[in-house]
Amino acid sequence: MSLSSLRNRSRAWGRRQLYSFFSSLGTLLSHRVGTLMTVLVLGIAMALPLGLYMTVSNLRALDLQQEEWGAITVFLRSGASEEQAIALAGLINEGPDASAVTISPDQGMEQFRKASGFGQALDMFDDNPLPWVLVVTPSVTDGSSLEASVAGLESWLQARLEVELVQVDFKWLQRLSGLLRLGEALVSVLTAIFSLAVIVVVANTIRLDVANRAEEIQVLSLVGAGNSFIRQPFLYSGFWYGLLGASVALLIFNVCLYYLQRPLEQLLDAYGNRFAVQNLDGSAVFLIILAGGVLGFLGAWLSVQRHLRQIGENGMLGRL
Amino acid sequence: MITFEHVSKRYQNGSIALQDVSFHMGPGEMVFLTGHSGAGKSTLLRLILLLEKATRGQVFVNNRNLSKTASRQVPHVRRGIGMIFQDHKLLSDKTVFDNVSLPLIIAGERYPLIRKKVRAALEKVGLSDKEKAWPMQLSGGEQQRVGIARAIVGMPPILLADEPTGNLDPELSRGLFGLFRQLNDKGVTVLVASHDLALIRSMRQRVLVLSQGSLVDDIPGADIAGRSS
Repeated sequence: MSLSSLRNRSRAWGRRQLYSFFSSLGTLLSHRVGTLMTVLVLGIAMALPLGLYMTVSNLRALDLQQEEWGAITVFLRSGASEEQAIALAGLINEGPDASAVTISPDQGMEQFRKASGFGQALDMFDDNPLPWVLVVTPSVTDGSSLEASVAGLESWLQARLEVELVQVDFKWLQRLSGLLRLGEALVSVLTAIFSLAVIVVVANTIRLDVANRAEEIQVLSLVGAGNSFIRQPFLYSGFWYGLLGASVALLIFNVCLYYLQRPLEQLLDAYGNRFAVQNLDGSAVFLIILAGGVLGFLGAWLSVQRHLRQIGENGMLGRL
Repeated sequence: MITFEHVSKRYQNGSIALQDVSFHMGPGEMVFLTGHSGAGKSTLLRLILLLEKATRGQVFVNNRNLSKTASRQVPHVRRGIGMIFQDHKLLSDKTVFDNVSLPLIIAGERYPLIRKKVRAALEKVGLSDKEKAWPMQLSGGEQQRVGIARAIVGMPPILLADEPTGNLDPELSRGLFGLFRQLNDKGVTVLVASHDLALIRSMRQRVLVLSQGSLVDDIPGADIAGRSS
C-alpha cells in the first residue's frame, strides 16, 4: 500500500470517526429527557463512592495531624519547680523516642485565658493554680508503633515522682485510623460495585438504543457500512453517557460539599482551627470525568458487540 | 462484470428460489430482469448484494467470487453496488440530504465533496428543492427518487434496482428508466428487476426472463421489439 493511499485511508477513517462522534451527540440531544434520566442515574451512582472517597480523604488529612493529637500531656505536681520541668524535658529530649516542650504555669494560664474566654473570672485567682506541663510528642507517628511508643513513655513518665498525671488521649485516634482503613476498603468496594453499575446501566441503555435503531443499522449495512462504522456511534454514545454522568456526579458532590462545608469546618475547628475541607483538584476532576467516559465506553462496547451479533444471527442485518 | 454460473438457491424450508441460473453481464451493459412474482428476481439481486449465499454454483461480481467472500469483505462489495429498493429503505429521522449522503459518509468523503455530490444526485432525480425535507413529508414517488439518488450518489460501477417503478406513475417510471439509460451511457452497469413489460420493451435492452427460479429466456435488445410477451 502506497503512502498516499495510506494517508487517504487514514483521513477517511478520521472523517468517519468525526461523523460518528457528532452524530452520537446529536442523537443524545434529540432524546433529551431519556438522556437526562440516564445521566442522572449514572451521576448518582458515581457520586456515592466519590463522596465517600472525599470524606475518607478529608479524615485522612486530619489523621496526618496525629503528631499533635498523639501527644502526651504531662502535668507535674503542684509546686514542682521550673528546674524540675526543664530537667525532665531535657531527659526526654536526650532519648530517640520523643521530644518534649515545657509550658510554664503563666503560659498555660495565658493559653487558657484565650481559649476559654474566662479572662475576667481567671483574674479572681490570687495565685496561678496551674502546674508546669510538658507536651511530649512521640517520634513515631503511625499505628501500632505509635501505640507501643506511647505506652512505654506513659509508664516511664508515670513512675517519675515529680509527675502528677500523664494524659494520653490517642485511643480515639487509633479508632479513627481503623475506621479510615475500613472507609478506604469501603471506597474500593463501592467504586468497584458502582463502576459495574455504570457499565450495566450504559450497556442496557445502548441495548435499547440498538433495538430502536435496528432499521437504521439494517439500512447502513445495505449501503455498505462495515461493523465498525455501525458500532462507532453507539460507542461514542456510551462515552458521552459516562462523561456526562461523571460531570453530574461532580456537580452533586460539590453541591453537597457546599452545604456541608460550613458545619464540617466548625466541627473541625474544635480540633485546632487549621483545617479546611479539601475539594478535588483539577487533575482529579479530569481523571474522574475521563474514568466516567471510559466506563461508559466499556458498557457500550459490551452491549453493542453482543446485540449487533444477535441482530446479525437473527438475519435482520441487511435483509431486503 | 456480473456472472452467474449454474447458481441455485434453496431455502431452509425447502423452497427453491433459483435453479441452475447462468448468465453473464459485461461492463457497461444494461439488462432487465423480468418474470412473475416469486420467479426469483429479488433472490437473484440479493445474491449479488451478498444478502444471501448461493446453495450451489458461483456468483462473480467484478471478478470477485462472492461464494468465497469473507464476511468482513461484504461491506466492501456492497460499496461497489448502488441498490434501489422497492420500499426505498430511507431513514425517517434523517433529512433527504442526510439519507442521500450516507454512502459518501461511509466512504469517508470530505464534507464539501459530499455536499456537491449529494446536490448533483438530487438534481438528477429532480429533488433539488427537497434536500431539507424529511422522508415522511414526501410522496411515494419522491421517496423512491431519494432512494435512487442515494444509490447513484457514489457513482458505483454497478446499479441494481428491485421493482423501482412499483410506486411510481407511468410518467415518473419513464423518467426513471430514462435516468437508468443516462447512467448506463456513462458506463454504469445496470440490472433492473421489473415486471413492467411495456416499459422494458420501450428500453430495447437485453432482457432475462425468470420463471419459477429458472432462467427461461435471454432476449437480446435488438430482438425485444419483436417479442409479443
